[in-house]
Amino acid sequence: MERTEIVDKLTVIFRNVFNSENIVLRDDMTADDVDSWDSLTHMAMISEVEKCFSIKFKLKELNKLRQVGDLIATIESKLQQ
Amino acid sequence: MDDRLFSDVLNFVAKSIEFYGDRPAFFIDGESYTYKVFGETISGIRTALRNRNSKSSNIGIVLNNDVETYSSIFAVWMEGCAYVPLHPHWPKERCQDIISQVGLATILDSSSADKDDSFDCNLIRTKNLQGNCEIQKNEFNVNDGELAYILFTSGSTGKPKGVPISKGNVAAFVGSFFDIGFEITENDRVLQCFDLTFDLSVMSYLIPLMKGACVYTVPDNVVKYTYIYDLMDEHNLTVALMVPSIINYLKPYFDEIDVPSMRYSLFCGEALYEDVTAGWAKCLPNAEIYNVYGPTEDTIFCTYYKYQREGGNKTCNGILSIGKSMSSGSIMVLDEEGHETPVGESGELCLYGRQLFDGYWKDKEKTESAFVLSDDGNRYYKTGDLCYRDADGDIMYMGRMDSQAKIQGYRVELGEIEFHARDFFKDRNVVCVAYENESKLTEIAMFIESDEVSTDELVSYLRTKLPAYMIPTRIMFVQVFPLNANGKTDRKALKSKL
Repeated sequence: MERTEIVDKLTVIFRNVFNSENIVLRDDMTADDVDSWDSLTHMAMISEVEKCFSIKFKLKELNKLRQVGDLIATIESKLQQ
Repeated sequence: MDDRLFSDVLNFVAKSIEFYGDRPAFFIDGESYTYKVFGETISGIRTALRNRNSKSSNIGIVLNNDVETYSSIFAVWMEGCAYVPLHPHWPKERCQDIISQVGLATILDSSSADKDDSFDCNLIRTKNLQGNCEIQKNEFNVNDGELAYILFTSGSTGKPKGVPISKGNVAAFVGSFFDIGFEITENDRVLQCFDLTFDLSVMSYLIPLMKGACVYTVPDNVVKYTYIYDLMDEHNLTVALMVPSIINYLKPYFDEIDVPSMRYSLFCGEALYEDVTAGWAKCLPNAEIYNVYGPTEDTIFCTYYKYQREGGNKTCNGILSIGKSMSSGSIMVLDEEGHETPVGESGELCLYGRQLFDGYWKDKEKTESAFVLSDDGNRYYKTGDLCYRDADGDIMYMGRMDSQAKIQGYRVELGEIEFHARDFFKDRNVVCVAYENESKLTEIAMFIESDEVSTDELVSYLRTKLPAYMIPTRIMFVQVFPLNANGKTDRKALKSKL
């Protein structure tokens, strides 16, 4: 899957989970940049990502996802496995 | 240990600073801070406090995740004052309301100077205030009748209500905490995952600092459950008090978690389910697990139940028992007339003892309605929790009696959210309900009696009035609210739409 396709799918998930129509993903975006991004919505977002890409994150991987760029890179590498 | 005084508590902390100067007191955001630095920071802030203009003994502290904020708490206590936490992420209006309710004249703030703070108060910047470490044991002129802190919790009238806790209350908590049998030493590494507006933080920093142990804090701009797991795993934490939500989040990953260093794992603030606890117990093969319980009004927690790894745990609807009273208090389950209920019969859990507060801040009416005179002649605090006592005297928790909900351990009066939403709409009916999602986590849903409209403006309005955890995660529109037999809005019927 191309990176742009991942970003597109991720954008749909983010807009939906964080309940905001105008989220535009950036690599350096963090939970600080999105009002409703907290532990609860984070968990919902991760589970949507897992469903959408048919992947499963390890707990150790989750804590390394500090920025949206990390998330995209992790999805990319898991899809290649 | 029933006669422990608050000055003894401070003497223990002074002893840690004296004996363990080179050892870490805090691990904050990737960095360690020694007891020497902690002591020097306290002494610098004490000097600033002594030079303040006002004589008021209640001091505001802007909560940041740094050594200055924790040192401010101890400087305030050592100077015979009480602290009132102000959260930098709270809406300004809420902070201002608290400042004027308490009449705060001085605020300690470790934020950098370019941050805009236009509170109507004398602001003391605590960054770079280090003094000489001259904290002497036995120098503390503190009185157990003085306040230690005033915490503000959600109130149904839209105004936060203040819970003043005395230094004697805190000393009683410390005494009864150690009476349970916990042994904490300078080699312990203790999790402090709570916001300092939440009194579970007090145990999480105070107990380790009394024993020369290290406090591991959690910043508030991170995803908590993964950060906490990382701290436990990489730093081999030995003691952790958490809300059960955290392990509900971690549950899908239990098979990856193995923290043999953990000795004591305590849960408080929400119902703890036996099944998830059993899974968690396997992640911490060497830990004793406790379910502890208590409202802010009875200082941190006041009952405890030890989880039995070999089985035979006491539960009610899958929720672990909250056990028995700690040593400095007593508990009763009372019926509507204020009489103790027989074994096995439910009633309201009521509390009494040295940890119990005197009454709400400047609110006689609320205070009067919060207490009941029981048959033993003592004034008991009514918790609003529905419980029963079994034949061994263990308390079983059944749920709340009113419209209060617990969101990740925070007390939330649903009425406060409804109040602000009605204020926004003026002419529409609003009902909030708390419900458990698929992961057994509590969320808030809001129902609005109207045609569907955009909720963006409502949500941004609520964000100016309420902390983030009180913002509903689901908003639904209903043409006409269902009514129950008494003609009241049927909250249960609304809830079933979720």
